[in-house]
Amino acid sequence: MFAATSRRALFGAALLAALCGAVPAQAQAPRTHATLAMVAEPQTLDPMASTADLVGTIMQHVYETLYTFDAKWNVVPMLAESMPKVSADGKTYAIALRRGVMLHSGRELTADDVVASLQRWMAQSPRGKALGNVVDSLVAKGPQAIEIVLKEPYAPLLSQLALPSGMAAIMAKESIASPLKDFVGTGPYRFKERKPDQYVLLTRFEQYSARKEPANGYGGKREALIEELRFVPVPNASTRVEGSLAGQYDFADLLPTEALPRLEKAAGKTVPVMTPAFGFPYLVFNTKEGVAASQAVRQAIQIALGEGEMLAAGFGDTRFFVAEGNHFPKGSPFYATGGTEQYNQRNAPKAKEAAAKAGYKGEPIRVLTSRQYDFHYNMALLMAEQLKRAGFKVELNVVDWATLVQRRNDAKLWDIYVTHSGQFPEPMLSPPQLGDGAPGWWDTPAKKAALQAFNTASDPAKRGALWGKVQEIVYTEVPYVNVGKFNGLSAKSPALDNYQPATWPYFWNAKIK
Amino acid sequence: MLRFLATRFAGMLVVLAIVAVLVFVLTRAASGDPVSVLLGDQATAADIARVQKEYGLDKPLPVQFGYWLREVLQGNLGQSIFLQRPVAQALLERAEPTTLLSLMAVAIAALIGLPCGIVSAVLRGSWIDQLFTGVAMLGASIPSFWFGIVLIQLFAVSLGWFPVSGYGAPDAAFGERLHALMLPATVLGILNSALIIRFTRASMLDVLGEDYVRTARSKGLSETVVVLKHALRNALVPIVTVLGLTAALMIGGAVVTETVFGLPGVGSLVVNAVLRRDYPVIQGALLVIAGIYVLINFSIDLLYAVVDPRVKV
Repeated sequence: MFAATSRRALFGAALLAALCGAVPAQAQAPRTHATLAMVAEPQTLDPMASTADLVGTIMQHVYETLYTFDAKWNVVPMLAESMPKVSADGKTYAIALRRGVMLHSGRELTADDVVASLQRWMAQSPRGKALGNVVDSLVAKGPQAIEIVLKEPYAPLLSQLALPSGMAAIMAKESIASPLKDFVGTGPYRFKERKPDQYVLLTRFEQYSARKEPANGYGGKREALIEELRFVPVPNASTRVEGSLAGQYDFADLLPTEALPRLEKAAGKTVPVMTPAFGFPYLVFNTKEGVAASQAVRQAIQIALGEGEMLAAGFGDTRFFVAEGNHFPKGSPFYATGGTEQYNQRNAPKAKEAAAKAGYKGEPIRVLTSRQYDFHYNMALLMAEQLKRAGFKVELNVVDWATLVQRRNDAKLWDIYVTHSGQFPEPMLSPPQLGDGAPGWWDTPAKKAALQAFNTASDPAKRGALWGKVQEIVYTEVPYVNVGKFNGLSAKSPALDNYQPATWPYFWNAKIK
Repeated sequence: MLRFLATRFAGMLVVLAIVAVLVFVLTRAASGDPVSVLLGDQATAADIARVQKEYGLDKPLPVQFGYWLREVLQGNLGQSIFLQRPVAQALLERAEPTTLLSLMAVAIAALIGLPCGIVSAVLRGSWIDQLFTGVAMLGASIPSFWFGIVLIQLFAVSLGWFPVSGYGAPDAAFGERLHALMLPATVLGILNSALIIRFTRASMLDVLGEDYVRTARSKGLSETVVVLKHALRNALVPIVTVLGLTAALMIGGAVVTETVFGLPGVGSLVVNAVLRRDYPVIQGALLVIAGIYVLINFSIDLLYAVVDPRVKV
């Protein structure tokens, strides 16, 4: 009897010990992995199938592109040997490939893989398709070079090829399938395993062939110093914050700005990381149907808006946003002031007058927004008040994100919707309203003329001024309103060394101390 | 007996059929489009239409329902739009954390609920009884997400005893997984113990007033023996039923707790599926959960019939 009881007690004690204490002991050995808390489960791992940032963030470690961006957003070669040779008429791009680049399958990358990958990208990816419309031909020139011939000069070509979201990923030809099952790229990490809502594991690719140039932004030498990357979905933002404070993650993406004071105080466990000019919120107007189809009404709404106030409502702390009308930050080749006097007017009487002149008769302005991101909702609330003060009637439709992305495709259902985008290095990459057919259906002769001039100018120096013209037309015709710029907040563990803040966080060249 | 079984079984099938129709209609009646979510912000209308066609989402609803029903009748719950795997496999992968979580939570609920309930009943009307009843009321009213965050801040962030979220590292041993489940199980256990306290108290009070308890006391048995041996055994039957139902409820109902603690269980699977409109997963998961409920009810009916001769078969 006594023996049985004590054995049971022992077992209980052992179990208790296992439950409470066993795990922290493991932390002693040098770690070979990094745990990276992401905002959600990736929609897919096919980097061409979705433009979602999360997909690009993860898969840029597995797949590489012909070109990429350096720290100053200049296009630099990655799988391409060097910058392309462009013909005098700006239509033919000859691109030589870097030699000796190994695929994860152990074979050397050839021009056939590149052509097949880009063909898939132009057939399937939303971004690639837009480019496909201007591409006349795409062929291999021998085993280590390709040639792209355009129907007309198209300046954003290289930026399109470089972007990690909706990526022009170069993959092994034989792995290409729909849906993609094997992820065979050339990146410093190989795909290891995915367990939905639990993790995506990437592991170091031993035969990776790095560039010789020193690391610079996404460009230059890449080295997998951490053996295994564990991307873990942690959709609850408070949980990401608490996990960082507890030192559970090496990196936690997109934290609520209110968390900054707590992160700053958590010495030794986590370090806040600010990514400047991370993105911009924007309001899209329905130019096809409904009350906002009238340009004069849209202009009146623009007069009523106080973007500075909206940003404050969305991001709180002034360290997290910049209220400025130029769509690109100072220092960017696309910095321009055209039209910016229309920004942040917050002039209710003047808006009221303009609305009356435009023939506005109190029709409700239907604002579509969601709480997927708190700042969308908070900004929409404030905007509604600003519009009401200027005599507009506002109907706020708060739906979930899946509903919003569906409803915005139907011109009958909305007048304004709220969204945001990453701040990209090339204007044509975002927002999609600059292209054709995006919700809002902005399509005017002035837009066409300005964008035609902008896109066919191959001299980068001239493109800056030409973007100023486009920006001016956006302020005149009001197809969308760029609310301003916001900074991103993430956190990293003190152990994660040499992490460089980036729009699409990357972890090559980073190491665990 | 055979006729009883047959009618119950037929009833079960009718319920499942109704669930199938309702689940399908409700998921499709909600607005939203999985393909727009899948493809991201830059997708054009043409891309969306193409992928909708790939998944058969362009077909009229009755046709889609027909396809789905045909597959379900063959035992195939379909293919997830987002997870790149069959719905049945996704559910199986999620079953482990959810089942373990439910069992641990029920164990904790019972460990708290039974003693407190018994003491409350025995010391009926005393300040201890009032304290326990008050705490039980409080437990029933606290939202689980708030309680979860409080426990995370205390035990995971400040004290560092437990991980904040997740289900252990990818290569975690079973012990580490259980360790990761401790906090969420405590949240669910404490919140659910409220019900157990109240139930135990009520059930014990009923029994303590019975004649045979008075007889036991008059025989000169000690109060402990009377309460624990004579009263508790008889009071236990309805309590066990409640414990069983609580466990069953958690299999589908630990949604909030699983989300707060980032547990890859059935609840978070369903929530994510709803948010991204992964129709096959929503339909499959709800059908399976409903199936489990119906099966449990069916078993309880059977058990009653076996145990209690007054239930006619």
